[in-house]
Amino acid sequence: MSTHLFGLVDVAFNYSHSVGRNEFNGTGFRNPVDMAIDDEGKVYVLNRSYENRPDGVHATIATLDEQFVGEFSKFGEAPGDMYWPTSCALDSAGNLYVADEWLNRITIYDGDGEYLRHWGESGDGPGQFNAPSGIAIVGDTMWLVDSKNHRVQNYGLDGSFKSQFGEFGSGNGQLNLPWGICLDKNGLIYVADWRNDRIQQFNQAGEWQATFGMSGSGPGQFKRPNAVCVDDDGDIYVCDRENDRVQILAPDGRFRAQLKGDHQISGWGKSKLNSNPDMIRQRTMAITHDGGAYEKAFANPCSVRVTENGQIAVLDHTRGRIQVYVKEKEPVLL
Amino acid sequence: MAGSNDIALMAHLLRRAGFNASRDEVEAAAARGYDTVVEELLNPAPESGVADDLMLRYHPTYNHPGAIEINIQNWVYRMVNTEYQLKEKMALFWHMIFCAGHSKIDSGEEMGRMIQMFRDQGMGNFRELLMELSTSPAMVYYLDNCESHKTAINENYGRELLELFSMGVGMNDAFNYSEDDVKATARAFTGWNIAPPYPPFPYGRSPWEFRFDPADHDDSEKTFLGQSGNWNGDDILDMIADQQATARFISRHLYNYFVADEVPVPSWRQTPPKDEDTLVALEQAYFDSGYNITAMLRVLFNSDGFKNARYAKVKNPAEMVAGTLRMVGDHREEIKPGMFELSQEPKYMGMDLMNPPTVEGWHTGHEWIDSGTLVERINFAADYLGRTDLPGVRSMISRLMSQGDSLSPEQFVDSCADLVGCLNLTADTREQLVSHAGRGGALTHGSDAERAEFTRRSGEMFQIIASTSEFQFE
Repeated sequence: MSTHLFGLVDVAFNYSHSVGRNEFNGTGFRNPVDMAIDDEGKVYVLNRSYENRPDGVHATIATLDEQFVGEFSKFGEAPGDMYWPTSCALDSAGNLYVADEWLNRITIYDGDGEYLRHWGESGDGPGQFNAPSGIAIVGDTMWLVDSKNHRVQNYGLDGSFKSQFGEFGSGNGQLNLPWGICLDKNGLIYVADWRNDRIQQFNQAGEWQATFGMSGSGPGQFKRPNAVCVDDDGDIYVCDRENDRVQILAPDGRFRAQLKGDHQISGWGKSKLNSNPDMIRQRTMAITHDGGAYEKAFANPCSVRVTENGQIAVLDHTRGRIQVYVKEKEPVLL
Repeated sequence: MAGSNDIALMAHLLRRAGFNASRDEVEAAAARGYDTVVEELLNPAPESGVADDLMLRYHPTYNHPGAIEINIQNWVYRMVNTEYQLKEKMALFWHMIFCAGHSKIDSGEEMGRMIQMFRDQGMGNFRELLMELSTSPAMVYYLDNCESHKTAINENYGRELLELFSMGVGMNDAFNYSEDDVKATARAFTGWNIAPPYPPFPYGRSPWEFRFDPADHDDSEKTFLGQSGNWNGDDILDMIADQQATARFISRHLYNYFVADEVPVPSWRQTPPKDEDTLVALEQAYFDSGYNITAMLRVLFNSDGFKNARYAKVKNPAEMVAGTLRMVGDHREEIKPGMFELSQEPKYMGMDLMNPPTVEGWHTGHEWIDSGTLVERINFAADYLGRTDLPGVRSMISRLMSQGDSLSPEQFVDSCADLVGCLNLTADTREQLVSHAGRGGALTHGSDAERAEFTRRSGEMFQIIASTSEFQFE
């Protein structure tokens, strides 16, 4: 590892591989909105699908080396169902918590997807929420983005309300329809302040610490950022959703790099094409025309996670796949 | 303060130049004045007009949707919510003329992109619109221009461009173009093609791109409308745009869409227009402005022919659905589930948006109504107008209550008809409604119980009005 002449540590973010394809069920994802990854690389993906295809609403369990494990839940309002799933997180026991922004509830499943319980109450008072959009779990605490109330709440994993911070606005510490949330290893809280086009940093008392970014499409600027995560080095990864990219900021917020997508066809993608020679022909002709640019690029990436072994997984919403990158700390011949 | 005549005229304008409005919006617009509102409609900002970011957030398939159902859903949402109502009305206008359908195109996103093109270009220069149409990948595919080659032409696009998209066949025995002109047009458009797109699997189709292939273009001499040269497609469009027949054809379509129902297009050859004077004024605006559609619309909306043509048209299904939702105020604030089902309603009423029955499009006017579609229309409108929890309906009931502590059956019926769009009831219909209102006892709202009953009866009366033949018109 060396120091760049601009004072940033020299690192590279290299594409590794992709997982998934567009599919309503089985080996693929349909309009996935968020994912959670456990220590063994098992990934839980929330599929939002769309209104006339409710069969696509469920969670998929797979691995980052593209092994299909299973799927669970379905569209609906009954306990264990999902309506507008929007975010998920794992606790230390391996249970999955899913926020549903239409039903206003948190549903808990075990690691195999069995429904355990749910909690949540609609409203704008303490302990109530309106459109929970992002959740992060640290120890026995859940940090929940209460989006339409423009605030962040802190709950016990049993749903017991602890505290809240934030209000509507565009000043420091104020929020406008916030979405994603994460914590770094020091316990600082990062919130994707979606309609203010920025990331805000808070301490655990809810006190504003820093703001990163502004509206735009240049380096360090955002257009409706919806998800954020921080690695052990403090680098900040932001899904810059409507700019179709992931931006990586240094711990002090300076622009470090952007990922625009480098997809190569996945194993599940190949298996789909192998059963359809006509689509192989069409795809080959298209790649001849554009050099593969269309298929490589992110399209509204909506979740980014850093795994235990340092992989960076980006959930590529419109294309129904995960693009996986690795952070190289030594110079790599590209 | 706007008078009742001003309000009735404004309600008429907002029904025709947009997809209707709530009573509050009608009165606010009337207070700004007719001329001001016409110019507001004619000069939309380049912005989207709806909260695209919120739609993408809560309906995350909003961008690049491959499924046709989502594209239709997005369109109906826009009809109901866009700030720029005339722009959207013109998108529907061109979709009903420049017909291409999903049944052949099989790409929802391309249908959505075509409608967006109409939205972007539909109030501008007609020659430029024809160029956009001729380079629209969806149209290139729909009318087989991608199968028209230098060595073997396909006449489909060339023929429809002349017959259905610009000049029309002609009047009586005076034809606007010949079979040789069709062939020359087809030859001029050879090489206008599409680059190969990605297939739907495994990651979704790529947007189609127009691509001109000079090696497949017939560059030899052609004679079109008596003029000879090595015409390319854009030369043909120049000549088409400058034809009197084109001005007439577009003017008659505008009249049919905005003023009063005409006979279907195939009958135009034998049937003179309803209002020759208005058509002449529109043609004049077309040439005076250099083929500008907004200039034609300005003449149209300021004409007496338009202002006096109230309830002279049968609502098309999109107008019925979007207009009802705008009036009652559902799906106009919070983005919520349910737009897919609503967006299918026009289809149940005979208008499968983004999938017209043929390249000739839908037959309009009374042909919208048969025994099946009439039931759908009435059920839909009555269902929504009876929902007294909706903000637009609540506002109408509040206005009814503000008219006095007690309303006579006549006052009640007249006010209800006025509130649902300044509706002109026939004497027979009015008499039946008054009779019904009179059977319910006094219309008072002093106590909680009376207010609840007044509310219920208001919703019921709105529903009955929605089932009248008068409500089928706009």
